Amino acid sequence: MFDLSQLFSSGTVHALILPFSFDFMLQAFIVVLVISLPMAVLSCYIVLKGWSLMGDAIAHAVLPGIVLAYLLAIPLSIGAFAAGLCCAITTGFIKENSRLREDTIMGIVFSGMFAIGIILFHQANTELHLTHLLLGDVLGIQTSDVIETAFLAVLVLTVLIIRGRDLMLLIFDPQQAKITGINVQFWHYGFQVLLALTIVAALHAVGMILSVALLIIPGASALLVTKQFSRMIMLSSIIATGCSFFGVYLSFYIDSSPAATIVLLMALLCCSMFCFKLYADKKLVRSELAGHPH
Amino acid sequence: MLKGWSLIADALSHATVPGVAVAYMAGLPFSIGAFVSGGLAAIAILFIKQRSILKEDVAIGIIFTSFFAFGLFLLSLSPSSVDLQRILMGNILAIAPWDSFQMLVISFITLSFLILYWKDLLLVFFDEQQAWAVGINPNKLKILFFACLSATILAAMQTVGALLVIAVVVTPGATAYLLSDKFKHILFISVAIGGLSSLIGTYLSYFIDGATGAVIVCIQTICFAIAFLFAPKQGLFMPKKQRSQGSKEQYV
Repeated sequence: MFDLSQLFSSGTVHALILPFSFDFMLQAFIVVLVISLPMAVLSCYIVLKGWSLMGDAIAHAVLPGIVLAYLLAIPLSIGAFAAGLCCAITTGFIKENSRLREDTIMGIVFSGMFAIGIILFHQANTELHLTHLLLGDVLGIQTSDVIETAFLAVLVLTVLIIRGRDLMLLIFDPQQAKITGINVQFWHYGFQVLLALTIVAALHAVGMILSVALLIIPGASALLVTKQFSRMIMLSSIIATGCSFFGVYLSFYIDSSPAATIVLLMALLCCSMFCFKLYADKKLVRSELAGHPH
Repeated sequence: MLKGWSLIADALSHATVPGVAVAYMAGLPFSIGAFVSGGLAAIAILFIKQRSILKEDVAIGIIFTSFFAFGLFLLSLSPSSVDLQRILMGNILAIAPWDSFQMLVISFITLSFLILYWKDLLLVFFDEQQAWAVGINPNKLKILFFACLSATILAAMQTVGALLVIAVVVTPGATAYLLSDKFKHILFISVAIGGLSSLIGTYLSYFIDGATGAVIVCIQTICFAIAFLFAPKQGLFMPKKQRSQGSKEQYV
């Protein structure tokens, strides 16, 4: 008994709560948890709508905005947001005026913008680290960044809570949505604005490239196991927050990149859910075959 | 491009990162690792798409981000190994003779495959049913095509980097598609645009001292913008008459 309590008081517990005793770790936990919620909710809509690659496109397209904003000395998020919006509008415009497929157009627009961003970046000799922009820098985050991220996250979440039903109708049945008086065009772009806002918010935490993962994987994993929308949102939020928390926690011990660890955890979870689903389906088929012999 | 596979190229190029990381740790040539992990990613995407209710774009998204994250995870565990920026951005000016030889071989194989099979490929892309009926196995050709695509991406990665590969694969084709209707012409125009823009891009980047891959992509994007605005049939500005005529004919 004595041994056990000593073990808990000194060694194990101390080692387990060690990450929480550092300020930068605490901030990292807060940021990651705060940002993963709106992303999880958005990811449900994205997965159902088939817009996964829109997130990818916007995430890449913010780079020139960030570099320009740095050069003009305005807040980086404003530049990033403007660039993301610009990408979305250009994509929509070209789509309406040509016969190319949407995915092709997205590919062209975002890679073009990304290339411009890289050229600007090379020319500007900024103090920004390209790797930090691309991959996030959650451990070196500032308090002002935390506040900004939280503000954006709350904003997106509020809009989603208030207007979630309209968006859902829009996704499942645009015709019906039009009839009931929802401005389809407006919300089409509105959704992209939300997407851009979330990505901008996630820039500090997980970087441009891995924010795409956070926008797809939770929703997709949830869709694998449930068909009810409300349950799907719940599940995807749980997955996202849980993985974010443990990702940062784990990365402290194995000294890896936090953002990559988060995404890797999510991918593992998604993979195991997929296998479980395969197994369950097979079992179902077998039991049905056994129940109805022909 | 016509098939709607634009983003597969993007996904494959991201998915090669863990392969490169592992290959580096194991001391193998980069290209083998990259090819293996690209192939794994392609198989995984097809598998998920066939076996679940998730749509193809979701499957692509999941797989490539997970692969990419895995690659970054490996890289972050063993710092100072590979220069991440080099994988992501490419470095055309520091290409070794061996790499350029590799690239030549890959381009040659891909081109000859496309020339040999291009009629069958066309049929598979436009009308899978018909292809079955004629006795071509679409799956086999698809796999071959994927293999070619990943080999090409591999070659392109070393020059323009993982992040810009998609532009090189998609933009010339899309530009050509705006300019012409015939598949032959599309091929020809797209090859011309690709070749010329790479030449000019490399030349320009010498003067402005910028990233070569990015300059090439920029030029291609400008080409696309010009085609989009001024193409004889599909353009936005030129052919108001023709466009309205076309739409009228459709209504009639």
